[in-house]
Amino acid sequence: MKAAISSIEELLARFRYRSDEETTGLVELPASPVEPERVPGAEELQLLIFGLDGSEYAVALAAVTEILRARALTEIPRARPPLLGVLNLRGTITPVYDPSLRLGVASTVRVCAGPDCERPPRPARILVVRTGLGPAGLWVDRVRGVQRVRPGALERPRSGPTGGVVGILQTAEGTCTVVDPEWLLR
Amino acid sequence: MSPDRPPAEFSSEAVETAEALGANLLLLEKSAADPDPEVLNSVFRQAHSLKGLAATFGQEEMAELAHAAEDLLDRLRLGKARLTPSRLDLLLEAVELFGRLAEGPGSAVGEARTLASRLSTMDDGPERLGEDDPLERLELAPEMRRVLTEFEEHRLRETLRRQELVWAARVEYPLETFDRELEHLKARLRGVGELVSTLPGPVGDRVDVLSFVLLIGSGAGEAGLRSVFGGVPVELRTIPVRKERRPGPQAEAEAGRPVDGAESARATRTLRVDIARLDALMDDVGELRLIGEAIRGLSDARELSPRAWTVELLREHRRLVRRLDILQERLLQARMVPLRPLFDRMQRLVRRMAREAGKEVVLETAGAEVQIDKRLVEELSDPLVHLVRNAIDHGIEPAGLREGRGKPRAGRILLSAEQLGSRVVLALSDDGGGVDWARVREVAIQRGLLDEERARGSAERELQAVLFSPGFSTASAVSAMSGRGVGLDVVKTNIAGLSGVIDVESRAGEGTTFRVTLPVTLATVRGLLVGVSGRVYAVPLSSVLDVLGHDGRRTGLEEGRQVVPVRGRSIPVVSLAETFGLPRRAEGSAYLVVVGVAERRLGLVVDALHGQRDLVTQALGPRLGQVPGISGAAEVGHHHTVLVLDVGALLDEVLRGPALLVAQG
Repeated sequence: MKAAISSIEELLARFRYRSDEETTGLVELPASPVEPERVPGAEELQLLIFGLDGSEYAVALAAVTEILRARALTEIPRARPPLLGVLNLRGTITPVYDPSLRLGVASTVRVCAGPDCERPPRPARILVVRTGLGPAGLWVDRVRGVQRVRPGALERPRSGPTGGVVGILQTAEGTCTVVDPEWLLR
Repeated sequence: MSPDRPPAEFSSEAVETAEALGANLLLLEKSAADPDPEVLNSVFRQAHSLKGLAATFGQEEMAELAHAAEDLLDRLRLGKARLTPSRLDLLLEAVELFGRLAEGPGSAVGEARTLASRLSTMDDGPERLGEDDPLERLELAPEMRRVLTEFEEHRLRETLRRQELVWAARVEYPLETFDRELEHLKARLRGVGELVSTLPGPVGDRVDVLSFVLLIGSGAGEAGLRSVFGGVPVELRTIPVRKERRPGPQAEAEAGRPVDGAESARATRTLRVDIARLDALMDDVGELRLIGEAIRGLSDARELSPRAWTVELLREHRRLVRRLDILQERLLQARMVPLRPLFDRMQRLVRRMAREAGKEVVLETAGAEVQIDKRLVEELSDPLVHLVRNAIDHGIEPAGLREGRGKPRAGRILLSAEQLGSRVVLALSDDGGGVDWARVREVAIQRGLLDEERARGSAERELQAVLFSPGFSTASAVSAMSGRGVGLDVVKTNIAGLSGVIDVESRAGEGTTFRVTLPVTLATVRGLLVGVSGRVYAVPLSSVLDVLGHDGRRTGLEEGRQVVPVRGRSIPVVSLAETFGLPRRAEGSAYLVVVGVAERRLGLVVDALHGQRDLVTQALGPRLGQVPGISGAAEVGHHHTVLVLDVGALLDEVLRGPALLVAQG
């Protein structure tokens, strides 16, 4: 009898916690080879590195409240890009935006909402960021992980969009553009 | 202060003091029935120093007026007179006169004399202590009673009238810091109780500490009071009150006194519920527990065949759903409160705003007993304040102009509520100048909100929508206009967020009526789910009037607009897919959902009907703001969110023309 109950509980647990609500844990990336020696106690910046259309970008981890597995959104009629749609985040309607337009890397227009939306690719994620106007989501292709850097390790941007670019970070994989999340929503 | 100071210095100081006094009076107005003793005291002190200042500079008139005000305030502070609206008006008038007198006596002299005599003749008649003085029943030691000042006695009476307790706290403070300690204590007591009197305590053997007996009036328990002392050892005891022989008429009148101002503001987050209602809720929970047990029992009912097991499970499920419905119904009932406190608040607001605007306005209310959901009352407050302000600032004409138009001097605003089925209709009417529709039309064309041709032919009903559009209300041209419009888009968005609609009716010269239609409860809204190009939207059932099969062949054209005859009336129709710019799906059967607000009707063409649902709607939030045609969103299944249509906005849009704005990214 005990066994029967525990198996039902397991069933219920599986029913309640759908895998699509979970994302895998974040990896802490190794310090980049070009970064100067870390000074213990110095102010460090934690960056969340994500990939978009083959390039890498980062936002301050402090601005990100949650990372969701990408899911179909509810379409807002007559919405203009970069607004993709909305999702219900435990009772708070959260608009989700496509940062690739702002970053100038959009190859195609994403369809993430409505009946024509495709099943989002497995690694796609929605970064929920805190903003002055409530939470907002950023649709990204994948999340690489978190990297600690000293503010001095960021280089000034040389070309490309500059408005919300905080700096350029050299990582083991190449370069990564650090951006202001609020700028991506505009 | 030396008498040879230049008058300029006098006037600036006098104006400053008078202004501070005026600000405090307005604070008092918010809690007129139970004025904050501290504020009252500081107003009294301000009047007193104004009197001294005026006397020093030989400003007789001002000194006399200040003296009269000070006298009245002294009686108010000692509870010998009540702060009535007319007294407050006189005091505010005095503040205004102080300002003018400080600039230079001139014509204000005569007025000051009259007001001073009016202030001093305002009499309450006999003090309201009556034969049953609550202080007589307080068992306070005679030696303590003897040293209390008149003001302290009055504060103790007030404590007892509020059915609170009088506490005696024995506490010791170091000699060098006792004054600061007492100030801190006073500050921490705020909201917990009131330090009425600081009496010397018994002399101890230590010379570096002072001992005090503090008389504190408080409704908080011992633990609450103790925490205020922040760890300082304190001996607390209550001072007993003898049983009263019979409840005097005074006590009853006090008990029935309406809650006011600051108190009602504090009360908005709490709700008084009849204990019988809570008992019924407990019963429901008990029933749910039983169902829970039954389901658990099913989990190891091995003797049942799979079929029988399913039947049993379904039976329990039905019981569960039924009980949940009852539970929900009872909870919704428990959340219902009358509109009266909200209406009372508007009453006070109208007084203040009218005074600020220098107009005479009377607010009448009807239907204050109508009950709506507690949260709706809260959320309704801001939009209502906005509408009232609008009526006073832009609607009601100045008294002189009104007389010229053959209207009574005082403007009249009627705030009424009426329940119609599952909806409540709130109406705010004024008898002011009304909306100047010709001007609205002009501004709309100027601002590019309507194209000229369309605007020329548009009826007032169509121009209404323009009033509520953001493009209109932010137009600087409007504020100079005699009509309305400032911030009405915000009101409309707020109302739409409550699944409500607002419309306006106005006649030039006769006045304006705003009508807000709301669901009685916010917790759930019944919605009709409709399919459009593969999307699902919810239409609030409260605005659905009819659902019919739609046949494109019956569509005709009237004034360039598609119409369909429905029950002998031709109503405009629009394809929701087209309105929302969605791709058209394969032709097939279509439905016509007829929606309406007030007199206006609209047929929405949709592809499919997906039944009715109880929806818990959420606002779209500040980032998206006003999304045309959408009032909110609701979850209808696991991760499936549908948008709720804003019927009022769709009506406006279709009856007016193209969308004024598009959701921004």
